[in-house]
Amino acid sequence: MSSKKVSLLTTNFFHPTDERIIMGGAERYQVDICRLLRKMGYQIEVWQIGSGWVKEFDGVKIHSIPISKSKHNTFPELNLAFYENSLSADYALYFILSLAYPLAREKSISISHGVYWDWPGFDVQSGHQDAHQEWLRRMNIALTGPQKLVSVDTNTINFFNSTLPGFYHKWEYIPNYVDTNLFCPSKDTNSGSDMIRILFPRRLVPVRGINETMRAAEILTSRYPWIEFHFCGRGHDDNTEKLMSQWTTTQERCFYYWKPFEMMPEIYQTADIVLIPSRSTEGTSLAALEAMACGKPVITGLTGGLSDIVLQGYNGYLIKPTVDNMVSTIEELAKDKAKRLLMGNRGRELAMTFNKKIWDERWAKVLSEVFR
Amino acid sequence: MPKITAMMIVRNEAHRYLERCLTSLLDFVDEIIILDDASTDTTPDICLSCPIVKLYRRKSSLFLTNEAQLRQELWFYTTDNKPEWILAIDADEFLETKKLHEFPYLIQQKYFQAISFRLFDCWGSEKYYRVDGIWSPWLRGFSIYAVKYQPQLTSTWPKLNFHCGRLPLSYRQLPHLESELRIKHLGWANPIDIQTKYERAIDRDPTFKYMSREHYESILYPPEKIALEMWM
Repeated sequence: MSSKKVSLLTTNFFHPTDERIIMGGAERYQVDICRLLRKMGYQIEVWQIGSGWVKEFDGVKIHSIPISKSKHNTFPELNLAFYENSLSADYALYFILSLAYPLAREKSISISHGVYWDWPGFDVQSGHQDAHQEWLRRMNIALTGPQKLVSVDTNTINFFNSTLPGFYHKWEYIPNYVDTNLFCPSKDTNSGSDMIRILFPRRLVPVRGINETMRAAEILTSRYPWIEFHFCGRGHDDNTEKLMSQWTTTQERCFYYWKPFEMMPEIYQTADIVLIPSRSTEGTSLAALEAMACGKPVITGLTGGLSDIVLQGYNGYLIKPTVDNMVSTIEELAKDKAKRLLMGNRGRELAMTFNKKIWDERWAKVLSEVFR
Repeated sequence: MPKITAMMIVRNEAHRYLERCLTSLLDFVDEIIILDDASTDTTPDICLSCPIVKLYRRKSSLFLTNEAQLRQELWFYTTDNKPEWILAIDADEFLETKKLHEFPYLIQQKYFQAISFRLFDCWGSEKYYRVDGIWSPWLRGFSIYAVKYQPQLTSTWPKLNFHCGRLPLSYRQLPHLESELRIKHLGWANPIDIQTKYERAIDRDPTFKYMSREHYESILYPPEKIALEMWM
């Protein structure tokens, strides 16, 4: 077995200045890729932005580099510092595409977790034509260095194939994954309740559609006494969580909480409809795959890689997540139990093709092609 | 399921919340290590009436003179009893009853070796908690209460006589899982206790080294200056 060393560069696994860590999709992905590498016999070290501290998480040392400067949505100084610091490693993983700008290690792979430049704020930062061209020029360099580019969705690959088409052969599509043994339909199919439970299993941030969902919840819970909304996810700061808790105390049948990962199967199993109403910045959402694996219909935003995992009208709905669209789509599905069950069963079947074992095998193949 | 060991320091708790606290812990912990800081009431008897308590007793009190040493003594007694997960709790604190079923998930998850919670200070009754200034449980962050015992970590405390923390410094630096499970603190719930606790705090920190003067003064705020939210 190899004892070669892999260095992984990311921006913020840990918050740069405090202990807070929220295990969102990207963080879980990083832990899982590190676990896979260790299982394959590689040593692994992680580098990120920070004041120079070293921490350990899940058996992996995380080193920080005191550089946070970003320009044109790239981190050239961080990239160069990583290059020098990781010379003892044999291979490199760039956890975000832009982190490979301007200089990539020879045997390296970059990962895209989905298009993030569809976020309106990105246009505010980089929308000027000159700035946008400069960002694209830098991305062209970032894609040139690594030997392989792995994307969690086809949306990213399509974007680059039409924008910077020279990298067609570098792209590998490895969609996100779900542990279909852990996330599975409930054996108890009769909850004994007539209440329809709508679940929003997302962080409380605007790009994930929190504000539209809260408004939809207000409308639907006042219209139907048999509908309840569950908001399950962290805020990015204490105040957001405080406001959300206070809001739910003023609403009938609206609940707010978050749960450890190990409890999430139960949360999905007790839901009737799961909402992933992202406006932007989305890949092949882990939450959507987990809901599908639990046999639940999903209503998702029409963004990122969600169309890779949701077939319109088959296992859920892809909608532009306006309040009106959410209200009418939830309303329709909430009233049609047969359709919910049919879509849920289809979702489970689709989720089986995103099984974690398949993800492990696909990644192992790419790693063996580059890390040799 | 890993073994859960609760540890606590007690001193003259007989007429407060100790019995309730021990009863609540019976639901989810395997063992309770208690260090009695020279109580002069029936506190030791209450402790011993709980079947899972292991009681250690000090002949002279340390709480007001060297809290760090007291905490460290409790830690060593606890680690002598082969703990797996340790819950550092006080005799007037209660994990949210309706969500206690979550606790096993927290200690069986595979990412974190420390769990933190938000503390809610009930004020004047058990139905309301305080939210003005730094009393707000929402804005003062999470504190680590449960840790996985790791013999390789050091067991030192800061050299502070007051507010020295419940766990060794090395454990407080661990990445921690922030749980939404709330801790209900009844230390301020009985109006009779408030004046006494204020006087004790000022006596221990006359130069406002550990907390600001404003915070201590806020203990005695008139009702109109105190903001409360209902515990639900």
